[in-house]
Amino acid sequence: MSVITIFSGIFCSADAVVRDVMDSTGYRLITDEQVILKAAETSGMPENKIRRAFSAKTSVFNTFTHEKECSIACLRLVLATELERGPAVVHGFCSLLIPQAVSHVLRVCIIAEMPYRIDQAGVVQGLTEKDASKQIHAQDADSAAWAEALFSVKDPWDNALYDMVLPMNRMDVAKAGALIEENLIKDAVRRTEASIQTEKDFLLAATVEMALSRAGHDVSVSAENGAVVLTINKQVLMLARLEEDLKSIAGAIPGVESVKTQVGKDFHQAHIYRKHSFEVPSRVLLVDDEREFVQTLSERLQLRDMGSAVAYDGESALALVKEDEPEVMIIDLKMPGIDGMEILKQVKSTRPEIEVIVLTGHGSEADRKRCMQLGAFAYMQKPVDIDELSDTLKKAHEKIQKFKT
Amino acid sequence: MSKRNAILAAATRLFSRNGFQGTAMAELSTITGAATGTIFHHFKNKEDLFLHVLKDVKESVLEQFDRHQQTCRNQKGIEMVEGVIAFYLHLAGTMEDQFLILHRHYPYQMAETSMVCRSHLESIYTCLLDIFEEEIKKGMQDGSIAVDSPRKTAMVLFAMVDGIVRLNTYRVYDAGTLYDSLITACRRLLTGGR
Repeated sequence: MSVITIFSGIFCSADAVVRDVMDSTGYRLITDEQVILKAAETSGMPENKIRRAFSAKTSVFNTFTHEKECSIACLRLVLATELERGPAVVHGFCSLLIPQAVSHVLRVCIIAEMPYRIDQAGVVQGLTEKDASKQIHAQDADSAAWAEALFSVKDPWDNALYDMVLPMNRMDVAKAGALIEENLIKDAVRRTEASIQTEKDFLLAATVEMALSRAGHDVSVSAENGAVVLTINKQVLMLARLEEDLKSIAGAIPGVESVKTQVGKDFHQAHIYRKHSFEVPSRVLLVDDEREFVQTLSERLQLRDMGSAVAYDGESALALVKEDEPEVMIIDLKMPGIDGMEILKQVKSTRPEIEVIVLTGHGSEADRKRCMQLGAFAYMQKPVDIDELSDTLKKAHEKIQKFKT
Repeated sequence: MSKRNAILAAATRLFSRNGFQGTAMAELSTITGAATGTIFHHFKNKEDLFLHVLKDVKESVLEQFDRHQQTCRNQKGIEMVEGVIAFYLHLAGTMEDQFLILHRHYPYQMAETSMVCRSHLESIYTCLLDIFEEEIKKGMQDGSIAVDSPRKTAMVLFAMVDGIVRLNTYRVYDAGTLYDSLITACRRLLTGGR
């Protein structure tokens, strides 16, 4: 005995299909309204606030109140509790709340082409084409916002979210019902020991989410065999403290075997970021007597996570090379005292592993040839495009890494 | 003062007044009389220099608090909390540069990409909040304070006090005139209006 979920657009004859399926399977029906009522009852939140979770419009205060997230947590908990009571048809927005891991759920989407829906709106409610299309668009916007909130998917009718998508403009109600019943007896949606465990985990995760949400936290929760994983989807400086608080709330809930916290992948922690920055050189020495130019350049490279030091003349550049072992140098050719060409010559003869990029405003073709002969990695003209320079720096870095390994 | 410390002290002032982008190594060199080569000898680059400044801010603020906490044992929890609030305001006045750095945006932006920066800031806030929390707990034990969650109350209290400091650092208002009201509000918050 399984669970059937039906997510549908309005004016797609979904209610008729639901009745047909209930008649032939004997399953009970769980609707959004039932879940909302029960959620209001158990949480003490007003019904209309919970109902607003299904709306595309979010309260402007949501960032502080987390009303939407709290409502969703509530709905999830009620639904998970309901599912414990055995086979059911879940029809409506709530149907998308059951995690994919629960495999004994046959996920159905009922939708139709626009002309069919407008026609139905006329038949069922006597709506004009204009009114019908207005209602359909408003309802579809809510559906889209719901899919976006839950799965970050723009299209609520996306095939990937369902086991079957039924286009009602191409079949009648009886045919749709028959197709659902046909798929319901397939092995893939049969209740197994493993799938029952995932249902229990769903309830556990929902319970934890509710408890955290009541305490004002907004994290996503998953559970596997009692091991709970909390994903923090925001930037928080005092991460250790937040994790501690989350763990103490979640750990106190019966049935929770262990609690692990992690940071969502779009909300990088510094160390993840640093892994990424291995692709760029971290020690770049800029040598140029035009102070302002070289300082601006240094700051722009820092914005791209390349650490850089600056020298304004050849002597201090060569001193820094000895002390600081830069990976890559960017040098100007024309400078008082030891000029760029001389630096290039000395660096390449004493420290050939340092890559040197020549960046000059007044170079000739002969200069370019000479620099490349002396072993420069690249020869670039001012003004330089910062992206192009970044690219060249990355390439120099790759060459060095390759040489090292 | 060693050359390195002189550079750090001048850099603290420049970073707090001019921001990260607005601080030029050349200016630092002029102020301290140290050649840029010398500066880069001690600090790898500007970011590295800033991280050392931040570390210095962390150490000096926390050290001051440590010393303050040592001197006033044997008081009731509520008096300790009031003492901490007063001391925080006092420090903000005497260590204006350091507090201004903490009230600027760029350290927090840098914390998103730099683990070192992040850990300095995290430990500053953790230590400060721990001090508040500890005194609140003490007050709960001796009966002078009644709140539900010492940790959350500590954060609310800290945000209030730090907010008053910001009024001052950004010259929004003369925060000194708010001191009495602040203490009254805190007392009410901590005692549940008793």
